[in-house]
Amino acid sequence: MSAIAFSVRFLLAGLTAAVLVAGRAVAEDWPGADWTRRPVAPGPALAAFEAYAFPPRDDERSGVRSDAVVAIRDGVLVYERYAAPTTADTPHLVWSVSKSLLACLLGVAYGEGRFGLDDPAARYYPPLAAHPALHMRHLLNWTSGLAWEEDYEYSPLTSSVIAMLYTRGHADMGRFVAQHQAGAAPGTHFSYSSGDSLLLAAVLKGMLPAEQYADYPWAVLFEPLGIGSAVWERDATGTFVGASYAYLNARDLARVGLLMLRDGRWGEHRLLPEDWVAFNRSPVPGYRPRAESLVPGGHWWLNLPLEGAPPPWPDVPEDTFAALGHWGQALYVLPKEKLVIVRFADDRDASYRHNDFLRLARAAFVVGEAP
Amino acid sequence: MRRRHALLLGSAVLLAVAVVWPNRAHLAAFPDIIGAYSAKEYCSCRYVSGNPADYCQVYIRQYIPIDLLHDEPASRTVTARGLGRTHSAAWLGPREGCRLLGETPSAP
Repeated sequence: MSAIAFSVRFLLAGLTAAVLVAGRAVAEDWPGADWTRRPVAPGPALAAFEAYAFPPRDDERSGVRSDAVVAIRDGVLVYERYAAPTTADTPHLVWSVSKSLLACLLGVAYGEGRFGLDDPAARYYPPLAAHPALHMRHLLNWTSGLAWEEDYEYSPLTSSVIAMLYTRGHADMGRFVAQHQAGAAPGTHFSYSSGDSLLLAAVLKGMLPAEQYADYPWAVLFEPLGIGSAVWERDATGTFVGASYAYLNARDLARVGLLMLRDGRWGEHRLLPEDWVAFNRSPVPGYRPRAESLVPGGHWWLNLPLEGAPPPWPDVPEDTFAALGHWGQALYVLPKEKLVIVRFADDRDASYRHNDFLRLARAAFVVGEAP
Repeated sequence: MRRRHALLLGSAVLLAVAVVWPNRAHLAAFPDIIGAYSAKEYCSCRYVSGNPADYCQVYIRQYIPIDLLHDEPASRTVTARGLGRTHSAAWLGPREGCRLLGETPSAP
C-alpha cells in the first residue's frame, strides 16, 4: 500500500471524526443573541391556525385577541406574529405566568442549596411565624391552606388579589398575605392562590444576602438565558410582585420555555436541578381532577390524566405543561413535540380555548398539515 | 300595623349589619380599587410596555368609569380618580417598572 493511499485513508478518518464532532455540536440548537429562524411553509394548517389565533378584532373586546405568538421547534424559531401595538420588542405583561418564572428563580436558589422543600417558610420570612407547619413545598403547590380569595373581576369586593395589588395590601404585599388566617392545615387542600406565590417572593428575599435580592432574577436567570427585555415590578418594600407583574417580550419568554423543555439545562450549563424540574412537573399530592381545569404541579400547570379522567387538553400529548396568566397569557411546553409556544393576549371574555389553539398549533408547526 | 313596620325595619337593619359588618374592611377599601387599578396599569401599559397613550386608555377601561386620568410624562407619574378616590403610580426604572404610590389626599 502506497504512502499516498495511507494518507488518504488517514485524512478520511480524520474528516469523519471531525464531521461526527461537528454533528454533535450542532445537534442541539440554542439561541444566541437572537433565535435561529426556519419559518414553517405557509399552507392550510398554518392558515387554520392563524384564523383561530388572529381573527379580525372588534371594538367590543370580544373573542380571541392574541397580541403575540412565537413558536420554537427544537430550539429554532419556526413562527412569530404580532398584533399592534405589540411588537417583537414589547415587554408584555405576563400576569400569572410570573408565578412559573418565580418557580425558575427558586429552582436556581434550590440548586444553590439555599433551601429544602420541607423547610418551614417562616425560617426565611418571620411574618409567617403564626404558620409554623407551612413548608416551602406547600407554597409551591398552592396548598398553604391560608384563607385566601382568588378572584378578579367577578368579586372585586372580597378578592384578596385585588386587595393585595391595589388597596389594603399594596405597600407590603408579603405582610398582607401572611396576616391571613389558616383555613385548612398546610398540604391538605389545593387552592390556587396569588398569595402563596407572593409569599415565595418574600421568602426568597430572606434566603439571600440583602444586596443580592434586587438583581437576583437578572443575575441567575435572565442574563444566563440571554433575556434582555425583562421587567419585574416590586412593592414598596422591594418584594417582587412574583404572582403577577413580570414583563418580557415573546421571544425572551420562549427562552424560559426552552430551558424547561430541556429539563433545566441551558447549553452546557444546568440552571435548574433535574429533581426541581421533576417537582415542577409532578401533580400536587392528593389533587382530585376537576373538569376542564389543568392539573396543578410545582408552580406549573400539567396536562396529566388523573384518576381515570381524560387529560385536560385532550388534543395534545399528556406530557404538555404550561405557565398560564390572566387574559390569555401562556407559555406552553410540549416535550414530545419539542415545541415551545408563547402566546400573549388581551382576551376579555372566555371564548379562547387552550386545547383548540394547541391542536391547531401542533398541526401547523409539527405535523404540517390541516387538522 | 306600626308594629309590623318596626319589625320590618328592624329586620332590614339587622340584615344590613350582618352583611356590612363582616365585610367592613372590604367595603372601606372598595372605592379605592378603580383609581388605583387605573393609575397602576396605565403607567405600566405606557411606560413598561411602551404602548401608545390611546391604546392604554382603552386597555384599562373597566365597567366602573373613572372621572380623571392624568399622565405627567416628564415624571412618568399617572394619576387616576374614580368613585371619589384618587391614586397615583410612577415609573421607577427600567427593571422596576411602575409602582402604586401612597394615596394622595386631594384631587389635583
